[in-house]
Amino acid sequence: MPVFIARRLLSGAVMLVVISVVAFTLLYLGGGDIARRILGQSATAETVAAKTAELGLDRPLVVQFGDWFANALTGDLGRSWFSSQFVAVSMETRLPVTLSLVIGSTVIAAILSVLLGVLAARRGGWIDGLVQFLAVVGFAVPGFLIALGLVLLFAINLGWFRATGYTPIGSSFTGWLASIALPVVALATGAIATIAQQIRGSVLDALDRDYVRTLRSRGLSSNRVVYRHVLRNAAGPALAVLAVQFIGMLGGAVIVEQVFALPGIGQLAVQATTQGDIPVVMGIVIVTAIIVVIVNLAIDLAQAALNPKVRLS
Amino acid sequence: MTACSGGGAGEAEDTSLTLGAITAPTTLDPAGSEWGNRAPFYQAVYDTLLYADSDGEIQPWLATEWSYNDDGTVLTLTLRDDVSFTDGSALTAEVVAENLQRFQDGTSPDAGYFADVASFEAPDETTVVVTLNAPDPAFLDYLTRDPGLVASSEAIDSGDLTTTPVGSGAYVLDTAATVTGTSYVYTANPDYWNPDVQHYESLTINVLQDPTSALNAIKAGEADAVRISTNDNLDEVEAAGWTINSNELDFQGLLLLDRAGTVSEPLGDVRVRQAINYAIDRDAMLAALQQGHGTVTTQVFPTGSGAYDEALDDAYPYDPDQARELLEEAGYADGFTISMPNSAVLGATVYSLVEQQLADIGITVQYTDPGNNFIADLLAPKYPASFMALEQNPDWQLIQFMLAPTAIFNPYHYEDETANALFERIQYGDETEQVAAASELNAYIVDQAWFAPFYRVEGVMASAPGTSVEMLPTNAYPSIFDIAPAE
Repeated sequence: MPVFIARRLLSGAVMLVVISVVAFTLLYLGGGDIARRILGQSATAETVAAKTAELGLDRPLVVQFGDWFANALTGDLGRSWFSSQFVAVSMETRLPVTLSLVIGSTVIAAILSVLLGVLAARRGGWIDGLVQFLAVVGFAVPGFLIALGLVLLFAINLGWFRATGYTPIGSSFTGWLASIALPVVALATGAIATIAQQIRGSVLDALDRDYVRTLRSRGLSSNRVVYRHVLRNAAGPALAVLAVQFIGMLGGAVIVEQVFALPGIGQLAVQATTQGDIPVVMGIVIVTAIIVVIVNLAIDLAQAALNPKVRLS
Repeated sequence: MTACSGGGAGEAEDTSLTLGAITAPTTLDPAGSEWGNRAPFYQAVYDTLLYADSDGEIQPWLATEWSYNDDGTVLTLTLRDDVSFTDGSALTAEVVAENLQRFQDGTSPDAGYFADVASFEAPDETTVVVTLNAPDPAFLDYLTRDPGLVASSEAIDSGDLTTTPVGSGAYVLDTAATVTGTSYVYTANPDYWNPDVQHYESLTINVLQDPTSALNAIKAGEADAVRISTNDNLDEVEAAGWTINSNELDFQGLLLLDRAGTVSEPLGDVRVRQAINYAIDRDAMLAALQQGHGTVTTQVFPTGSGAYDEALDDAYPYDPDQARELLEEAGYADGFTISMPNSAVLGATVYSLVEQQLADIGITVQYTDPGNNFIADLLAPKYPASFMALEQNPDWQLIQFMLAPTAIFNPYHYEDETANALFERIQYGDETEQVAAASELNAYIVDQAWFAPFYRVEGVMASAPGTSVEMLPTNAYPSIFDIAPAE
């Protein structure tokens, strides 16, 4: 097990280096005159030249990357070219927002999709039909449309939740809830649709298996069979789907954060990418990649714990 | 001074103000500062040397008096002696000179405003002397904006002004509550020298870049005043019970940059440039692109300028026949092809409308999308003409920005004797002479068709019931001191 973890961490580190080289190069290829873009239309050519020198953009690409990489190794991700904020500080303030969103959505998606999936599989009939229908709708309607509908109804008309902005959980729990509830629902919808379908399939599949018949013949209650045994077997693939959804939500958060004006990583990513704010984009790439590595590792460990057959070597 | 009725902080009414802005500042250090839509972030924490009031007049602020020598090259400013920064240090002439020098040496987009300054000196505690290489009729205007911001000298030396500003302003940035780039929270400075303009005890400026989230914030009542980035939704803003406050600062239209015909020979002929002006159906453009929120025009000088002439707003009525005739006279009866950049930032519709209207008189437009390099390529210069939105500044500033041979938006450095003579009369003349020469200049460049402006677009700051806003004629964002609780 420790060997497995060490190997995964090592391959994660290699992946980080590769990703940063690729990202840095791509950003530069699409770069153009960055100093002019920072300074806007009224700056003179002299000021633009001074800015270029100040940012060290007049040096060769390899030198710039080497410099960035050496600093990154010491934990210094530099400063945003467009807001002067330390990238590490902006990650610190923005990561909790995005993680609130994504973790909240994942938890809700996990709970609701298990309930809906099991319900559909066991009851069948019109309930199954309804769940299937909702799943298709939830999957087909884009997250931003759901977000806009939710804002219109619950924030603007009813005034129960916030339409824009974010309150940190530390300063007010209810405030946090009011600012995060609608975005979480908007983000979770697509995931619920996907995972509920997955669970429904796995449960139906398992219910037909021999071991279920054996368990039943021993007189175990139907609930016990489903929740103790069937779900345990269905959990493996569902967890894998959940992990994919979690990572996908990091991307989906981009649009939701824009609509709700939430100061998360996604909003920052859009802004920084369109501006060409290389230190910020690189910071986001690195932090996101680290999260992905950790999530994948955690899922592997969880699956091993759930199912002894998938023992790690 | 300001027409404020007193009030001030201290009264226990609604004392917090939440503003919406379109864009965040790139730094909070005055040496890298900007104005325009970023003005409120700086104005909250720093004082300017002079103040532009809502009539566009220059008023005393940190400097109480100012005067030029006879040839307009030495400006002497007298400072208040009762101002201290929020870190406790005092405002002195030396600190002001240091700030001005930093602005000149720094990388503010407007650092070029100080290109012609020879020296900044502080002969005593309250006197600042600015020596110019040549008269600059816009210099006092500059001191009401970003170049006039003053930061604490101690903070310059030791602190981190880029994210932790220290000024003498009406508010102090609450760095713990601020999310850089998204939401800036300020509290009133209890020791402010001018409590009359502190209408609120706290101030929050939220960056609402996305037009939809700005509209949602308005509908949900999550702000008191919001700068609107597009005029598409103004009906909905009004339907939410908000007031539309507007000025007409920017003009949109074609910049006919290659007036000497270096790259595009036809454009060097004044008849061709006039033909392009006649080919534009300005009323249709205003209706299609701005839902009518603006005024059609063919001049680039703003309504607040002495040079402005109402008659020049329709110097070139829509007349494609006249346009075709002019092209024929110029020897382009069969038309010609011209290359222009297009940028998604300014919308997609306008480019096809321009293409259609020019095609109608025989001019074929070839578009290239330079992506992020739009402005860099425009100024390189890589294109003979382009659609663009530009700010209409006070006269001398406008001349330095887009007319003079060295102006940023005159990338081909086009010049002619008539215009040069007028520039000189404006630079060296007294006030009456300046206005007279600027009027002549305005008429001249309209006749010479240096541009093909379409309209002045309405810039809107919407305000909620309970909040009153007075717009500035000279800036995209109103002064934060002109935003107050409604009577």
